[in-house]
Amino acid sequence: MSCPRCDPPAAVLKAEERWALVGNPNTGKSSLVNALAGASLEVGNWPGTTLERLSAHLRLGEARVELVDLPGTYSLLPTSPEEGVVLKELLQHPPDRLLLVLDGSNLERSLVLALEAMELGLPMALVVNLLDEAEAKGLEVDLKALEEALGLPVAGAVASRGRVEGVLEKALQARVPEAPVRYPPPLEEALGRLEPLIPRALGLLALLGEGVPLPPEAQKRAAEERERLLAEGPDPYLLALEARYQKAQEVYRKAVRRKEAPPPLTERLDRLVLHPLLGLPLFLLAMFLAFRFTFALSAPWVDLIGRAQEVLAGWSLALPLPALLRSFLAEGVVAGVGTVLSFTPVLFLLYLALAFLETSGFLARMAFVADRLMQWAGLPGKAFIPLVLGFGCNVPAIYATRALSHPLDRLRVALAIPFLACGARLPVFTLFAFAFFPKQAPLVVFGLYLLGLGMGFLTAFLLGKALRAGTGEGAMELPPYRFPPLRLLLRLSLARTGSFVRGAGGPILLAVLLIWALLHVPLAGSTPYALLAQALTPLFRPLGLEDWRLVGALIPGFVAKEVVVGALGVSFLGAEALSPLGLLEGLRHLGEGLLQAVWGTLQGLAALFAPFSLPLAHEPTPLQAALTKAVTPAGALAYLVFVLLYTPCVATLAALRQVVGGRVAALSVGYQLLLAYLLALAASRVLP
Amino acid sequence: MPMPSLAHLPPGARARVLRVPPERRRLLALGLRPGVLVEVLLQAPLGDPLEVRAGDTFLLLRRSEASQVLVEALEEA
Repeated sequence: MSCPRCDPPAAVLKAEERWALVGNPNTGKSSLVNALAGASLEVGNWPGTTLERLSAHLRLGEARVELVDLPGTYSLLPTSPEEGVVLKELLQHPPDRLLLVLDGSNLERSLVLALEAMELGLPMALVVNLLDEAEAKGLEVDLKALEEALGLPVAGAVASRGRVEGVLEKALQARVPEAPVRYPPPLEEALGRLEPLIPRALGLLALLGEGVPLPPEAQKRAAEERERLLAEGPDPYLLALEARYQKAQEVYRKAVRRKEAPPPLTERLDRLVLHPLLGLPLFLLAMFLAFRFTFALSAPWVDLIGRAQEVLAGWSLALPLPALLRSFLAEGVVAGVGTVLSFTPVLFLLYLALAFLETSGFLARMAFVADRLMQWAGLPGKAFIPLVLGFGCNVPAIYATRALSHPLDRLRVALAIPFLACGARLPVFTLFAFAFFPKQAPLVVFGLYLLGLGMGFLTAFLLGKALRAGTGEGAMELPPYRFPPLRLLLRLSLARTGSFVRGAGGPILLAVLLIWALLHVPLAGSTPYALLAQALTPLFRPLGLEDWRLVGALIPGFVAKEVVVGALGVSFLGAEALSPLGLLEGLRHLGEGLLQAVWGTLQGLAALFAPFSLPLAHEPTPLQAALTKAVTPAGALAYLVFVLLYTPCVATLAALRQVVGGRVAALSVGYQLLLAYLLALAASRVLP
Repeated sequence: MPMPSLAHLPPGARARVLRVPPERRRLLALGLRPGVLVEVLLQAPLGDPLEVRAGDTFLLLRRSEASQVLVEALEEA
């Protein structure tokens, strides 16, 4: 209204609109979405990718607006496939309004992206976020002067603290900007020659070497112009970048006042966190705490879910139904749903821990410290975190690979993780190790962990060799330390856990039901399970495994590795029948479980800093006695190696499917089985 | 004498960037562009990567990448 250069009219609000948020990484875009429309946060995938898409809905009078958070990017010309989503989305599904989120404490670089986006010809408004950090750095941002200089509405915000008052009002005044930058003559002339064929924005992208979809004629002309520019002088990308920086600096000088300020806390803190001597121990401590937080605090709730599962199974068994149907409900449906839900406490806490590390700035520091170690496997430093988490549980570790920006890195780490010996494999390890190698049991278990780690690294390394030559670019920004917006973290973690239940729940349930059918449907006087196990046994004879009951237990082990122990117990010692439960009895049982879970959580919090305790030597159980008669030590070792390496569990597989896609997940199962078989064969020859 | 690269500078050194290969777009987009003032702040506990300040941006940079960034070292003010 008062802005003299804002003559083009503001875009009129339609009944249904989609607004896209674009900005550098770590500028608080998701905080902004949360502050504007928090309650309706949704996470999904970008079409055709496994990259997370965050969105939310809000109502503005009669209109319904979808806010879409595009991946953080430094330039519209992508430097990683993740950033590529931004340009593709803006060109293929142009949003009704584009909100460009700027970092108030690093305005110059943010402005370069804004100038780039202003070429697109979309209705735009700017949001200068992180004004609190700018202030702490002694920077005073004059929003009015920015409006004047760019001819666009500009709002200020501190999204993490919910200070977003003017944002919606300015977004409603969004308007199509004029092209803001005059490029050096050779570039402008080339653009002028392309202008009759294609819009300026597309011509510019094509001249800078970005493959944008163009009509054949324009494609040819653009390629010729680019050739000419490359032949004549400096790279057009450098020319354009320089021109944008000059314009950005001009705008910056008009809008920002610098005052003296003490060096930011971040720099002082980094002297400690990244210290040459203290850095590594501090890093290991942080890793250890994240690990403990996730697994110690989730354990009581996983127990509660297990107890609820028992109670529901007991109730189902008390129903007046045919025996097979009762068993289907109790040991199929209830067990399947229970399996899915048993992962939710771990996932929720892990998502919380990861989001905390990421938004607080610690994740970037951890990547910095671990980078050198990861270079051996040709991976970025950030890959360290999912690999460590894999020792707790493979499922959240696979989801944690989403923090890696390059899909190839994500793929390699995700395929390495299933070899890491998760907590569920430990019961099998201890059962066999103490039965067959009582004196060297800890050594055997430790050796298995090392073997798993080695196979994981080898997989990542070989995949890296097979898929591309060099190692990826490791350059990344070190964002300042920030106190994370806790409400956003809780909402995000909940939404992500929900996405696991929706995306992975179906396949897991189906697999459990299939295993139930194998175990319980009568077939030719036996069960399909026994028949299948007997048919598979000849394959395992070379490994020293002659007993079909051992081979059979590997089949339900596909649902979850700890089930192997239970399955062995049933086939060697006979079934431990589930007993029907009365209504009141079951409720009392549940109540006790809830109390125990709360108490366990408090204990877990108190024990966060306590050292680990491994379950050590115990009396040989009847099952162990039976096992020692069924197989030789060499066969037992082969069995352990096989259990370590073959497909960890259906939930891991479902997670892989969500993160790297179904085809790759299926291929990885074949690879794991093959590797497990070959190494088990080798292991069976180690002992006489 | 060949121009020194960013990887040659010890922690604490300041320099002006002279050349970044145009195909290293990520470095350029992160703000490591010709003409910008840089300061090497730290090296990681295991010797690699480096922490570098370029303008208002703090970057984590592997030595292999830093060696492609040619610089002109500046005397201490």
